[in-house]
Amino acid sequence: MTSRSFDAPVTAALFDASGQAAFALGDGTVRFEDGSVAEVHDGAVLSACLHPSGRGVVTGGDDGRVVWSTPDQAQELADAHGKWIDAVAGSPESGLIAFSSGKTVTVLDPADPHYRRDFVHERSVADIAFEPKGRKLACATYGGVATWFARIETQKPTFLKWAGSHTRVLYAPDGAFLLSAMQENQLHGWRLKDSKDLRMGGYPAKIRDMVFFDQGRLMATSGAHGVVVWPFVGAGGPMGKEASELGFEEGVAVVRVAAAPRGPMLAAGLADGRVWAMDVRTGPQRWIVAERGAPVTALAVREDGGRLAWGREDGEAGVADLAT
Amino acid sequence: MDCLFPFAWFATIYPPMTDKIPVTVLTGYLGAGKTTLLNRILTEDHGKKYAVIVNEFGEIGIDNDLVVGADEEVFEMNNGCVCCTVRGDLIRVLSGLMKRKGGFDAIIVETTGLADPGPVAQTFFMDEDVAARTRLDSVTTLVDAKHVMQRLDDSKEAREQVAFADQILLNKTDLVSEAELAVVEARLRGLNPLAPIRRTERAKIALDQILDQNRFDLERITDIRPEFVNPAHGEDGHVHDEHCGHDHGHGHDHDHGHAHDHGPRGHAHQDDIRGISLSLDRPIDGQAFTRWLDKLLAEQGPDILRAKGIIEIAGEDRRLVFQAVHMILEGDLQREWGPNERRWSRAVFIGRNLDEANLKAGFEACAA
Repeated sequence: MTSRSFDAPVTAALFDASGQAAFALGDGTVRFEDGSVAEVHDGAVLSACLHPSGRGVVTGGDDGRVVWSTPDQAQELADAHGKWIDAVAGSPESGLIAFSSGKTVTVLDPADPHYRRDFVHERSVADIAFEPKGRKLACATYGGVATWFARIETQKPTFLKWAGSHTRVLYAPDGAFLLSAMQENQLHGWRLKDSKDLRMGGYPAKIRDMVFFDQGRLMATSGAHGVVVWPFVGAGGPMGKEASELGFEEGVAVVRVAAAPRGPMLAAGLADGRVWAMDVRTGPQRWIVAERGAPVTALAVREDGGRLAWGREDGEAGVADLAT
Repeated sequence: MDCLFPFAWFATIYPPMTDKIPVTVLTGYLGAGKTTLLNRILTEDHGKKYAVIVNEFGEIGIDNDLVVGADEEVFEMNNGCVCCTVRGDLIRVLSGLMKRKGGFDAIIVETTGLADPGPVAQTFFMDEDVAARTRLDSVTTLVDAKHVMQRLDDSKEAREQVAFADQILLNKTDLVSEAELAVVEARLRGLNPLAPIRRTERAKIALDQILDQNRFDLERITDIRPEFVNPAHGEDGHVHDEHCGHDHGHGHDHDHGHAHDHGPRGHAHQDDIRGISLSLDRPIDGQAFTRWLDKLLAEQGPDILRAKGIIEIAGEDRRLVFQAVHMILEGDLQREWGPNERRWSRAVFIGRNLDEANLKAGFEACAA
């Protein structure tokens, strides 16, 4: 394992297509594993995602700018003139990038510098997700999730209503379900073909993170003493099924989760700074970071499940091999 | 009603954090002097790093300080619980500020003149991310001595802002006479007997007198003076009411809770919101009191804006202190009673539609 010590909170950790880790920080920089540093925001990085090309990182800052950084260069993609960029998302399938600033979600196409779509919501947008083909995007807001066709200029969104504030949103990899995390410590889901509601409650804490893995058969979330894992098999998904909790430990909460999309490798970041990983087929959990510290704020597992990157609120960060 | 009380759980999952950033909520209707005060906070050579959240979009940095705009967004929870209503914009902005390198010495949140302070305060107790990294230091309400009487007559929000306050800055005192000030202060006390009133001109006050006051720290509940609620007749702050036993000679009927036709410097009168003070010189049964308080807040929480109390529990050498914001209740055994200290229980409830006789009977029935 290699450890790094930054002097700003870690907003996000990511692996790019070459398999290298990158960290986006509260001092406005993106730090690549090869040691190169992109100083891109005047302020903090608030949100980050992988660039659709798989090369480098797209970050949104509290300076209102959206920037694409690679180890070699940085390029401004958009400027919201001081409005915070609360969420960014990229779709390798459609090549599009979306970001939210207040109530507006903007879609960009890196292949066409003149392309821009702005979708305005009644309330602020907390999170954005592209559907698996990248043609639609879902925007989490107050009172529900709005879904838009990413390329159509003038349209009315389909609004999936559910009372309360939606803070995170995620599509199932087969596109059949849309999941959202809510302010009131619960998940809500919609089966998209018939808009059937899925209520997935019982969480003791705020759900900050969710991820599909194992070919889309499982979804893991934070928000409990262990990682909560929901089965998504068959037409009903998790309907009528129970979640299981992995790595349960009294007195601590899982605050970040990450996993390999096609494999069984799952990782958890804890409020006390520790990190574990587990092959959910074989178990048991392995401590990647065993010493306690500031809460984990960033966690990523490489697509092949072979490496893990983590970062903490106090700037401690690291990369570890998961292959045994 | 399904209500979430996550505090106890927070304490078990987050490492104890001593360096939570204090947040001062600055309320007051338009023209009370909030902008003047904020400008002073931003331009004064205080050597601190402050973030100020204002109700306009956009962000500017002034020297060390940062000004962030936010649109007021009230989030109701889908369980319908009033005390779980929070300000989504604050969750978003405070969480974003926590990502910044270096942090801040204090954060000041300016609300609009029409804002309900309840959801603002509740955000600091109900949202896990906000509660883990920041603490509500005080709700500070600015009022303008010249126009406050009129505003209190006209505006429910103005009355709520005063009633909710931990401290009140009575500003523009140079524009009115001492006699007028006394009338204004009496009315403010009637609405809120817990908050000290500081007189200012042009919002001039030392920042260390309003920031970092720890007004929500149970350890700081040192004294509650029920006589503030209604000082003796003839003294400053006395509010005439039906118990005075003398004729006020106003020559018209009071129609409380509605707009009055007398001007800002009319007589002192009772508002729809008021503070009710309870006291008892006998020890109280701890279990009976907890039951009574839980029931009271569950039933009347939406109407109870604030409450604080110091209770003498039978068989306990330490003082029980509590405070509440609507239904959110915190209580703990505090320090021991001093050897020469008068042992007695007192509590103040600030709210609307409060039945004083009923509260008094319920409180006294908790006697051991």
